[in-house]
Amino acid sequence: MNNEQLQMADEVVEEQMTNDVQIPGAIERVLLDEGMIAARVRELAAQISADYADVEDLVLIGVLKGAFVFLADLARRLAVPHHVDFIALSSYNRGAVSIGAVRLIMDTRASVTGRHVLIVEDIVDTGYTLNYLLSTFHARQPASLRACVLLSKPERRQVEVPVDYLGFEIPDVWVVGYGLDYADRFRTLPYIGVLKRKVYEQGSRRGVGEQRSRGDGTAG
Amino acid sequence: MGLRDDVAKVLISEDVLQARVAELGQAINATYTDDDRPLLVCVLKGAFMFLADLTRRLGMRHEVDFMEISSYGAATRSSGVVRILLDLEQNIEGRHVLIVEDIIDSGRTLDYITRNLRTRNPASLRVCTLLSKPSRREIDVPLDFVGFEVPDEFVVGYGLDFAEVYRNLPFIGVLKEEVYVNEQ
Repeated sequence: MNNEQLQMADEVVEEQMTNDVQIPGAIERVLLDEGMIAARVRELAAQISADYADVEDLVLIGVLKGAFVFLADLARRLAVPHHVDFIALSSYNRGAVSIGAVRLIMDTRASVTGRHVLIVEDIVDTGYTLNYLLSTFHARQPASLRACVLLSKPERRQVEVPVDYLGFEIPDVWVVGYGLDYADRFRTLPYIGVLKRKVYEQGSRRGVGEQRSRGDGTAG
Repeated sequence: MGLRDDVAKVLISEDVLQARVAELGQAINATYTDDDRPLLVCVLKGAFMFLADLTRRLGMRHEVDFMEISSYGAATRSSGVVRILLDLEQNIEGRHVLIVEDIIDSGRTLDYITRNLRTRNPASLRVCTLLSKPSRREIDVPLDFVGFEVPDEFVVGYGLDFAEVYRNLPFIGVLKEEVYVNEQ
């Protein structure tokens, strides 16, 4: 995102700054507040803890950047021992509509072969990214492979992907906060908000693209 | 739970930890403005939990980026030089950079990272660490925001691990000696 685009976003932001200092003006409404998210994360953690109670070697794999907030909260609520690892992805077609080509920027530190793998993602949108992750890790012969995703936009799905643990189904709106960004902004809001349409429509005319979970051009 | 049984004592409880993270957030809020648009650089893996809580306390506009590094073993221990496995996505030239760390021990790795980032000409470079062990320091590194000074004990939890375990404890605990003596 260049300076001009950032300025455009700022102009929209400033319109409402005086009305409410808590919520940036670029946010149309709060979709999921902190309490709702925390309660659902606890439920997911309880379910995962029960399902993996007898498992020796569980590894949570967080997908950067978007999943780091969800992973931090989820891991703390898990009652089962586990390791944490990260991967970073990018897209081959920066700025354009994604066709699902994913590039692995940083692989996991440890091998997953023979281990129980739980992929932790912030959002599944088209499904291309999660599909890539599942097929990539499946090929490494883990003992088991599941996905835990905070948000799903079923309307946007282009490829069928199994989600074993899902936080919330949401409509096809641009959401930010709790790890999700708009051009790297609003990522660390403690709640999930809906971005005003005019913010991303202005951005899309300048090639910011579609909702994605990473700032670097990967469609969720 | 088994994990908690391995902890000899709670050094910093979850409540005390969260209160201090909020204070650090306020101090950082007072340091930067929206126009500064600071970039918080998280050094994986240990700092991710601290980063997740800290950034949710920040009022000013900011962004986050990640680095993952790997030790060269004995060579790293003496020089601090590490291998960068994941470099920053963003160019930091002219940016206000705040490194977010879980713990500063000898200081050598942090010293290397700050020297590395300085060559990229950021507008400013500061360091925020949750924990510091001053008694272990081998090289003087300026720390701008420090959560807690801790004694030279084997601490785990809130991102800090022993052999990749205990990271998810929501407090900072001291590991029982028999756990790490037996394992090593």
